[in-house]
Amino acid sequence: MAGDSSALFIEQIQAASAAQQRLLINGHNSKRQWLPAAAADSSLCTAEHSGILQYEPAELVVTARAGTPLAEIDAALREQQQMLACEPPRFFASDVGTFGATLGGAVACGFSGPGRPWLGALRDAILGVELINGLGEYLKFGGQVMKNVAGYDVSRLQAGAWGALGVMSVISLRVQPCFAAQVTVSGELTAAAALDLCAQLGQRNLPITGSCWHAGGLALRLQGNESGVAAACAGLAEFGLMPMPADDEYWQRLQHYQHDFFLPSMQASTDTRAHGSRRKLWRVVTPLAAPMPDFGAPSAADALVMWGGGLRWFYQDDAAAVMAYAKAVGGWCWAIGDAMPIDPMQAQIMHQLANAFDPKGVFATPLSFPANKAATLAMESH
Amino acid sequence: MENIADNLPHYDPQQLTKQSAPHQAVLARLQQLLPMDNIITDAAGLRPYETDGLTAIREMPWVVVLPETEAQVAQVLQCCAEYQVPVIPRGAGTGLSGGARPHQQGVVLGLSKMAEILQIDPHNRVAKVQPGVRNLAITQAAQVHGLYYAPDPSSQIACSIGGNVAENAGGVHCLKYGLTVNNVLGVRLVNAAGEIVELGGALYDNPGPDVLALLCGSEGMLGVVTEVTVALLPEPETKAVLLAGFAEVVDAGNAVAAIIGAGIIPAGMEMMDKMAVQAAEAFAKAGYPLDAEAILIIELDGAAAELATLTDEVSTLLRQHGAYRIDEAHDASTQARLWKGRKSAFPAVGRLSPDYLCMDGTIPRKALPSVLAEIDTISQRFGLAVANVFHAADGNLHPLILFDANVPGQTDKAMAMGAKVLEACVAAGGTVTGEHGVGVEKLDTMCVQFTSAELEQFFRLKAAMDPQNLLNPGKGIPTLTRCGELGGMHVHHGRLPFPELERF
Repeated sequence: MAGDSSALFIEQIQAASAAQQRLLINGHNSKRQWLPAAAADSSLCTAEHSGILQYEPAELVVTARAGTPLAEIDAALREQQQMLACEPPRFFASDVGTFGATLGGAVACGFSGPGRPWLGALRDAILGVELINGLGEYLKFGGQVMKNVAGYDVSRLQAGAWGALGVMSVISLRVQPCFAAQVTVSGELTAAAALDLCAQLGQRNLPITGSCWHAGGLALRLQGNESGVAAACAGLAEFGLMPMPADDEYWQRLQHYQHDFFLPSMQASTDTRAHGSRRKLWRVVTPLAAPMPDFGAPSAADALVMWGGGLRWFYQDDAAAVMAYAKAVGGWCWAIGDAMPIDPMQAQIMHQLANAFDPKGVFATPLSFPANKAATLAMESH
Repeated sequence: MENIADNLPHYDPQQLTKQSAPHQAVLARLQQLLPMDNIITDAAGLRPYETDGLTAIREMPWVVVLPETEAQVAQVLQCCAEYQVPVIPRGAGTGLSGGARPHQQGVVLGLSKMAEILQIDPHNRVAKVQPGVRNLAITQAAQVHGLYYAPDPSSQIACSIGGNVAENAGGVHCLKYGLTVNNVLGVRLVNAAGEIVELGGALYDNPGPDVLALLCGSEGMLGVVTEVTVALLPEPETKAVLLAGFAEVVDAGNAVAAIIGAGIIPAGMEMMDKMAVQAAEAFAKAGYPLDAEAILIIELDGAAAELATLTDEVSTLLRQHGAYRIDEAHDASTQARLWKGRKSAFPAVGRLSPDYLCMDGTIPRKALPSVLAEIDTISQRFGLAVANVFHAADGNLHPLILFDANVPGQTDKAMAMGAKVLEACVAAGGTVTGEHGVGVEKLDTMCVQFTSAELEQFFRLKAAMDPQNLLNPGKGIPTLTRCGELGGMHVHHGRLPFPELERF
């Protein structure tokens, strides 16, 4: 049953600390396939630590326990015509046989949805976090207000920390009113032409809140009030972009990694149907207008470009080529399932921060920031 | 004046004196690293650096250095790390909480000579700038492409982007467009050891814990920013400004809730109470209704087609919630007039009273009527008047406590009253500082908001980034032994720091 398990977490952390054991924090394990498994003695499961604690639509804030399923939060917000603008993915959780991603897991991985450049990142939505550190201390940072510069921003630091800094107990996120109107326009364009068009339109005052290029087609999501969306929609016809039916489902599938493109990598590892063999899926973050790579990709179906060009996905077995491309355009890349690459200087900072929150090393994390810079540099040079 | 050393857990001021061998060695090293003109040691040259926007607190720095390159910044920090000399990073010195207050045995590291706009990139919609670039200069440089930089703190003609990052600066458009943290995509940073770290870039996502977000608002205590990449947005096609007068403060509060409840996020939404309105009107002749108990100033922006219906919708909601008068401004000059009263509220209140304290609490919007009522009660109890200006959209409240420092005991009374006001904000679920930062000014009020364990966690975090506690030591986080009485922004005889700047 849902309830407050924070006292149990504190006991578990203290016991693990005393026994010099490592705990791996998990919710519904919906993101298990994203990073290599972390070595841990046991797990600290937040799934039962669930429930929306406070939600007042006029305050634009929702506060919930970390184990609360995103689906539950999304449903509560939808009733009030509100949403999480950062559109965190729900993923499929085999543990519970449903789209089970929890709020805590969403913050811990820090993934943002298709609207990232226009609607903000998950980290932007974080207003406050109640955290249990590696000493078993229950700490509150931030709060429920939009503006807060009291103390270091420990709350937003949790985004992308993958459990390295503590157990998030309660999280407050900013919410946003749903848009009154939504239309998606689409048309056939090469990737290069789509990037050009996105760059050009990005300099205009248009209600664009999402983009996706895949297999020779570009889709742009327009959201706003009725008149604003209608005017934008009419204006985009000159670029050959026409309204697309059933578009809400399209963006939902993209948000939750249910788009056909992702299915081969999101399904269980034994599933090799779609591409014959399980191929490496690369996530490449680039400047918006960076050129497309020339991997000599077998087909256009092997690439998908979101975020107005800022996020690109490739099925590509030539790791060196992807890494060279990301570096050349000033971005970074990560092969899903492999360790997330972190620059040595950043890794050093993250390692020291992890020590500051967890001096005894209780928390295991699938992220790797090696113990010292020398080790990281040695690893890099290999 | 309180002794800053009280707040230094690891730093023993007795270790260093101006005449000590280490200091002479440091000076000799600095003279090797930087041109003569970039090192200030004489009293006249140091004078402008003795304070920032919080002029009530002053201290002469030992030396000011003005590096021109990132390499020089790194070398200065390496030198200071080697000799364990405190470093106080400084942007334009417009901060309101004493974050750049110097240290008599420390080096002020001024970034004013690193003020180049390195790149305006319209295709990637980013600007890459050095830390000393003024906030408004970014927008001015981007305008040719129809782009702008959204955060607009009131000091934007003077404040620097490096300082904005250090303070996580806001502005009147935060609810819709975010604070500095939401608009900075990357920085280059020199850490306390003098090493260069790159965080983010012209990118919308980064791996690992969000150190870039942590850096925003860290008041120069975790590193020195040497380059900033910010996101640029397309300029709104049109704007409309609405002024609404209310006979009851509660009605104005309800109108704010109704607008947000209707799914509308205005670009800006400001509230002023009767005393603030009367002061502002006398000062700025903005055309505010003098009989109103509260006014709202609402800015809407967007595409022309979108705005027409939006303006009607907001007007209707305002009327439904008791606005007895609504002025709509669609031309730039009328819009500027309506904003002028609000923007000059601080100096206007300064004319009413010899001195005032400006508080910077943030509260949940719903708590506004109860917090205002409580402030009123506190005001009567202390016998000091309060004018309230309020960023209604994001819940950031600036009560201005009026007093006269020449009346014996009034300063203490005002400070004590400010403490009560901030306690009320925290009790309502808010925070002691929404946008001005802690600096040295709000060290004491931090004790109200955080437990010992939380403060100790902050110190461990600081030590992780700056093990010798040399970067802006003594700011931001109070030591456990210090936690005591509350403070506030003290403005003597209406003299605001940078009186020429508009203040929100």
